[in-house]
Amino acid sequence: MRALPFLIIPLVLLGCVEEPVKESTPEMITKVTLTFTSEAGGPDIISSATDPDGDGVQNISSDGVTILEQDKIYNLSITLINELVDPSSPEYNVTHEIEETGDEHLFYFGWTNNIFSIPSGNGNIDNRLDEISYADQDNNGLPIGLTTTWKTTMGTQKGTFRILLKHQPGLKSGTSESTVGETDLAVTFEIEVQ
Amino acid sequence: MGLGLLICISVFSQEDCRLTFSGKVVDEMGAPLKGATIIIDANLFSKVSNDSGEFVINNLCPGKYKVAVQYVGYEPNHFEIILKDTGLYQVIVMLPMISQLDEVVVRAHHAQTEHAHNLATISTKQLAETAGKSLGETLREIPGVNTIQAGPGIFKPVIHGLHSQRILILNYGIRQEGQQWGAEHAPEIDPFIASNIVVIKDATAIKYGTDALGGVIVVNPPELPEKARIGGVFHTVAQSNGRSGTVSGYVEGGIKNHDGWGWRVQGTGKRAGDYHTPDYSLTNTGVKELNFSVATGFHKPDYGFEIFFSRFYTELGILKGTSISNIRDLVVAMNNEPPLYTTSFSYSIDEPRQEVGHNLLKVNAHKKFLKGEGRIQYGYQQNKRKEFDIRMGGLQSIPAMNLMLQTHTFEGEYELEGDKKQLLCIGLTGMAQKNTNIPGTQRIPFIPNFASFSGGAFGVAQFFMNRWKMDAGLRYDFRQYQIKGFDYKNSYFNDALSFGNVSITTGASLTINQKQSLHFSASSAWRPPHVAELYSLGTHQSAASIEYGLLLNDATNEVMKIEDVAFKNEQALKMIGTHQFHGKRFQNEITTYVNFIRNYIYLKPSGITQNIRGVYPYYRYAQTDALFLGMDISSSVSLSEKIKARQNISLIYASNLSGTGNLPFIPPNRFDWSIRFEEPKEFFLKNFFLESKVRLTTKQNNAPRVIPPDQIINANEQGIDLFATDNSIFDFAKAPPTYWLLNLSTGFAVHVGNTKIDFSLAAENLLNHAYREYTNRFRYFADDRGRNFIISAKANF
Repeated sequence: MRALPFLIIPLVLLGCVEEPVKESTPEMITKVTLTFTSEAGGPDIISSATDPDGDGVQNISSDGVTILEQDKIYNLSITLINELVDPSSPEYNVTHEIEETGDEHLFYFGWTNNIFSIPSGNGNIDNRLDEISYADQDNNGLPIGLTTTWKTTMGTQKGTFRILLKHQPGLKSGTSESTVGETDLAVTFEIEVQ
Repeated sequence: MGLGLLICISVFSQEDCRLTFSGKVVDEMGAPLKGATIIIDANLFSKVSNDSGEFVINNLCPGKYKVAVQYVGYEPNHFEIILKDTGLYQVIVMLPMISQLDEVVVRAHHAQTEHAHNLATISTKQLAETAGKSLGETLREIPGVNTIQAGPGIFKPVIHGLHSQRILILNYGIRQEGQQWGAEHAPEIDPFIASNIVVIKDATAIKYGTDALGGVIVVNPPELPEKARIGGVFHTVAQSNGRSGTVSGYVEGGIKNHDGWGWRVQGTGKRAGDYHTPDYSLTNTGVKELNFSVATGFHKPDYGFEIFFSRFYTELGILKGTSISNIRDLVVAMNNEPPLYTTSFSYSIDEPRQEVGHNLLKVNAHKKFLKGEGRIQYGYQQNKRKEFDIRMGGLQSIPAMNLMLQTHTFEGEYELEGDKKQLLCIGLTGMAQKNTNIPGTQRIPFIPNFASFSGGAFGVAQFFMNRWKMDAGLRYDFRQYQIKGFDYKNSYFNDALSFGNVSITTGASLTINQKQSLHFSASSAWRPPHVAELYSLGTHQSAASIEYGLLLNDATNEVMKIEDVAFKNEQALKMIGTHQFHGKRFQNEITTYVNFIRNYIYLKPSGITQNIRGVYPYYRYAQTDALFLGMDISSSVSLSEKIKARQNISLIYASNLSGTGNLPFIPPNRFDWSIRFEEPKEFFLKNFFLESKVRLTTKQNNAPRVIPPDQIINANEQGIDLFATDNSIFDFAKAPPTYWLLNLSTGFAVHVGNTKIDFSLAAENLLNHAYREYTNRFRYFADDRGRNFIISAKANF
């Protein structure tokens, strides 16, 4: 029983559990917002998809069908938000982070045929060289995709609009396909052209 | 034999039994072997050689005796002596063990190897032949031991199907405490530190506490010198696959005019680049390693102490093509061969990568008393682990996981020697531990901060009776956790948990005759849950899935109290028996085991979740009952004086008793056959050998069902939850087919003055066969290693 003091020593040496420090989470995205701005004026058309719990089990939910007017030119800008932090926090808006590391990131788009007249086709998820009207550039002159331009089709159409953000450090090029790199974002919206 | 004993006793009473048998035990170089056991007539008398290898056995009657001398890592030496009217002095030369059939634990090593019955040893010689490999890969030479791999460089040992939290590693007598909960976290031990490694297959760690459900790995460094003589070893190894170079060595000595003092300085450096398969490079799988240790001690026959410090540091690259996020990325990565990012050979280590440092300080002392011996030991370990992932721009240089684990261990025991026929050992152990997330990872930690305090008390009794050796042990342990962390939405939580239970072990060894012996043990062991199993949250790298701890609520992810879930400690009942046959030409050892584990913790597929990054299957830690059955066979036969054929077989079958599907990552059956020619005599070269080995690994036919990831995606798109009706265990890919590998090795020794140099040349996977290993977690992404040439030189001076 002479050993007993030795059992106490480690406790004294160690003390209690270290108080954890709250981490900022600049990579966490819980909300994607699409803002379609019509060149002809009029109110912006805004649609969001939200993941209420980050890595938790709850599924993503979206605002429902995004309704665009037919035969109109729209500028689309994408905003990425982390709603789990306070809006005043620098981690709240993740869009800047993507912009700053634009040379590693690329948005790909895929949609049901005939929703748009420009670009035509079904997007560049299946084939990178398919047409997308990117309206921004990274340091190397390659597109990022935070802003893009679209022209809706004539007549009514309905379908899906898929957005994929890929992280391609050292791999991004003028021909890098959507299968390259890690996925930072993969969301599908419903679109109706009226 | 009973009759023999009777006769002996009757002789005892009639004649003058005052004869002495004494001698000296030395190795093949003539150096004394301390701690060898000299057994006369199967345990009638036994003695242990002292520091200078000498022993004296008194009170022998005239007559004929059978003598057996045993020493770990050496072939047992059997011979007969005849004592007439004078005593006898004899020098006994021991030869290094070539086979691993005769694993004998000698009394002097009890402090480190427990009272085990079923065990296997890797000798100094075998360690030299596997030099340059990691600890896990080295241990794979033992039947019954496999590995869980994460790519070509990360190996975790598996004993009888169990690993991580379910086995215990003792490094120089100290419980190794690292972040062993992670399947891609290899043990932080330099195998060059060991002179032999013992694997105890009994589920017993009566002396060391909880967790040894599968067994114990004991890493034994050589004894410190006690005389003033400078000596050492210098070892260098080069390998073609990975273009690696390893340099290791130690210098040791005593202090002039201060007999008893000894010291050793040891170090290892290793550098490897990208490994390659037969067809392509495994980009970013390089390794950097730098380890050293210093030891000093003072030993007299009655008392002694030692101070030991070691540092292990490694930087490991993780195959870049495994960097994936959601399940769609997994589909792409599985179909990409060669993997994405594959480039030509390079030594550079990029993200994803790990940086791991492990420091160990140990102080121990022992003293003999009138009735026994007391030992105390204190250890401090500091384990730092940083994991870097491919992350957004500026975050690349910030570790995604940064943990520091500090552990204090204390052990005190007293061994009471009865009348040579029994032994009682009692002791107390304590462990205090603190695991801290170093702030600044900019990610919600995968596991929370915790502190734990564990304590235990034990007693082991051992009886020697004629041809029997029996023991029984009892132990009580408790563990308390204090937990503080942040949950999924980054809000604070804390809790305190407490666990306690009893472990029991009993065993017996029977020497049937000169050639045969039987060993049996039955033990009940338990382990408290690890914090990772309770509170994990998030994605593991390359897993394409999300894991939730046992205490996270199914629907809300909120952290719950342990009282609110039906948690029970994991509890194992392992029964294991070994039959040894040791003939002149044929040796055989068969070990059979049954391990029934109640409340076995595993990852259960529980559903599909979609977040902004895409679709992920998610797993929850759950509990079931599991049964492990298996057999290890090791045999050798001398075809001629110089040619020996050997086989090692590991068979294992695991069953999930609650019917939720086959358990994943259970090692498949393995067969090793080798033939070895040895020429011990000196003609031109000394100790020339040539060995050819075939390793056959069969397909795991008892693997979980397969759900390819694209099937999960398709079902999810149609709004079907694949796991709603059937949440049994699944795998993303089929178990790889049976494969076999051919290895060749040759070597010889030369003497230059007092220095002996062993050279060897080996080829692994000589036929450059493309294969995948079922227990390699990266088998979804790439083939395993292709052909490898190893050239090695070891100088003893």
